[in-house]
This record gives sequence, C-alpha cells and structure tokens, in this order.
Amino acid sequence: MGVAVLVGTMKGAFVMRSANASRTEWDLEGPYFKGWQVTAAGRAEDGRFIVGTSSHVYGATLHVSRDLATWDMIEHGPRYEADEDRKLKEFWTLATTPLGIFAGVSEAGLFHAADPCGPWEQVRGLNDHVTRDAWQPGLGGLCAHVLLANPHNPRQLWCGVSAVGVFRSDDGGESWHPKNRGVTPAIEDKEHKDIGTCVHGLALCPRDAQTLYRQDHLGMFRSNDGAESWHENALGLPSNFGFAIKTDPNTGTLFCYPLESDHHRLPAGGKMRVYRSTDGGSSWHTAAQGLPQEDTYATVLRGAMDVDGLDPCGVYFGTTSGTVHTSSNRGDSWQSMNYLFPRILCVEAFVI
Amino acid sequence: MAAVTITLPVLLSSLIGEKTIAVEAATPSEALQELVRRYPALDMLLFDETGELREHVLCFHNEENTRWCTDGLHRALAANDRMTIIQAVAGG
Repeated sequence: MGVAVLVGTMKGAFVMRSANASRTEWDLEGPYFKGWQVTAAGRAEDGRFIVGTSSHVYGATLHVSRDLATWDMIEHGPRYEADEDRKLKEFWTLATTPLGIFAGVSEAGLFHAADPCGPWEQVRGLNDHVTRDAWQPGLGGLCAHVLLANPHNPRQLWCGVSAVGVFRSDDGGESWHPKNRGVTPAIEDKEHKDIGTCVHGLALCPRDAQTLYRQDHLGMFRSNDGAESWHENALGLPSNFGFAIKTDPNTGTLFCYPLESDHHRLPAGGKMRVYRSTDGGSSWHTAAQGLPQEDTYATVLRGAMDVDGLDPCGVYFGTTSGTVHTSSNRGDSWQSMNYLFPRILCVEAFVI
Repeated sequence: MAAVTITLPVLLSSLIGEKTIAVEAATPSEALQELVRRYPALDMLLFDETGELREHVLCFHNEENTRWCTDGLHRALAANDRMTIIQAVAGG
C-alpha cells in the first residue's frame, strides 16, 4: 500500500508517489496539464481520479484518470446556464459522498453528478439560496470551497462559502440553511444576519459527526451540535487567522497552518509551523520538527494541506513558494521535499 | 463552403492532440461549430455560458481579428483561408 500526492500548481500538476507505507522515499511524475492552473482534485467511488483545471482565458474544466498519468477531459462538465449572471471560473473542491460527487466552484455554487463524466446539475437549493444576492466575495473570490458529508447520515451535508459562511443541508442537498451562530462576521449584511462570516476551512471530527471545526477569517471555531452554534477554539494558536485545517480520520488529531493576521498573512516570526491539536482544538501546539524555523515566509492556501488516512496518518502541505512538506507520523516530524514547484494551489493525498 | 484551416494555441492543442484542423465552412462561426462538433471538449474552453467566444479568446481570419470586424464571425470564408485562435494576453 502506497500513497500518491497530487500537487496542483499555477502551471500544472505534479504527482509524488511513495511505493509503501513508510512514505519516506518519493518519486516525482509530471508536470501534467502544463501551463494550466490545477485548482482541485478528488477521487470517485470507483477509484478514478478527478482534477479541476482553469485558465483565465479558457475557463474551468474537469479531467479524469485511472492512473494519475493519463487524463481525459470531461466534455460536458459543470456550467452555469446562459441566462444566469454567473460564470464558472474555478473548481475549489471535488468531494465524493455516498450521494455522488459535489463540485464546489467560483463564482460560488455547487454542482452534483453521480459520475464524474456527468451529467452535472446545479445544486439549486444552495446556488439560488434566498441570501444569494447578498453574497460578497473575499480576497480569494466568491467560492464554494469545501463540502463535507456526515458518514452516518449522508443526507446531512455542510458547505463552506467564502466570504459567506457555512450552510447545512439535512435533505441531501435539496435545501440549505446558514449555520454561523457564534462566529464573528467579516462582512455583516444588513438584511441577512446569518451570513457574512468568512469561512476559510472546515473539518469534521471522525469520531462524532456533529463536531465540526472551522478556520475562519476571524478565528478558529468548534461546533458540538452539527454547526448549529460555534465557539472559539484557539488556545495556543499564535493568531486567529489561517486557511487550511484537516483532521486525521483515525485519531481526530487536527492540523492547521496559522498566519499572522488578515493584514499580513505571513507565518508568525518567519517560522514554518504546523499546529496540532489532540483534544478537539481545546489546545494547540506546534508540530514543526524538521520544518524551516527561520527566515521562512511561505504561506499555505486552504486547499494545499491534506492527510492520507493511514495509521499513523501522513500529513502533506504545499506552499505559495512552491515547496512541499510531508510527515509520515501524524506531524511528529517533517521532511521538506527537494522540489521547487510553481505556487501551490491544492494538495490531495490518495492511498493507492 | 470553403476548405480552411484552424490553428489552435498550445494550451488547447495539447488537450486534443492536434495543432491544425482542416474544416469546410462558409463563415468563421460555422468553422468553429464544426471544430467543437469534432472536439466537444473545446466547446467549454472557447465559448462562455452565453455561447459567445470567451472574453480573452481571439479568432483571427487570415491576418484580421474578427472581433474588430463589423461582420465578425459571420464574414465569408474563401478556399485556403486560415483561422487562428489566439489568447489575448496583456502585460508580461
């Protein structure tokens, strides 16, 4: 059993492969999609890999592969209707659930398909939500960037939209409801008081599907009731700002990459530091052994951290400076790969 | 109908494995429709949600940018004319 880590960059995708579970020796493949932005990746239930590419000239498209090496472009991928005042600019997440595949996109919306090759349909309950006209873009644009499903109740879904907030569906995506109570708003709307929070990352506890974590523009939060309410959960973090948050599916250990304030958006003190929590976010501690600890100002985007789900869990992240860092022991120690890629947009780990 | 060629930029030709495609069409619009009929994947890349050429996709007819021509994509093609798809790029 090995691991493949797809690294999506501004200029193409690269695949790091480790043939066994030790995950210390890696072979590099690619670039694939040379010249294209590779913004999101996922895997269908039947094992096919999916990648979202984009270009400011040619728009956004999906591709599928059985081996991460030979890719076929999907001819009829997600697309808004001609009479809608929206354009699909980028794919932000490709999430496989028992209900099928959901693609989260900018301009913000969700699309759904039973098969990655389509047909794709809009998730109208979210895309045409009653608050939709009040949705405002953040610095990264107006995007639906994360989709989570309750493993015990697949009809319960959560979607994070930046800079709008978290929405929950309890009916398989038919209807959606903002769930942001307790979270500090970033852009308060005069009419819709339940949106205007800027969720950057969202993660689900593997042991309790009503426990969620969110890295927001203005804090790290936890919910114990399926996102009905949130409370701040940042003890030990050097700042309340950051993007990436992931959970180890075996132990529930949390990983995040804090940045110094929304104004600076740099690692505090020039240190590359992952923070880890083993108590559900009640306390956070550095997990940075082996990472550069001086004169390092690389940031990590929201899609650029992932875990592989093996035991012990592998953790991977890529930076806007094009470096990749791996841990095969749940963040106890890190290995910095000897690669220098273009700006890294997404990192997805697959057990193969 | 005139026999013409359509030359694609490298980002598109690398996806379909062809750089220059020969088609028969009366107008650039018809030629592009024939192109996407043969290569459906190009439809989403060349045209936006409204069916118009994407904002930064330029279609040249011989030496002329059809976007600047009053008859645009509906002008008449002649035998051996060349169409070239170019991405509009500003800056460095």
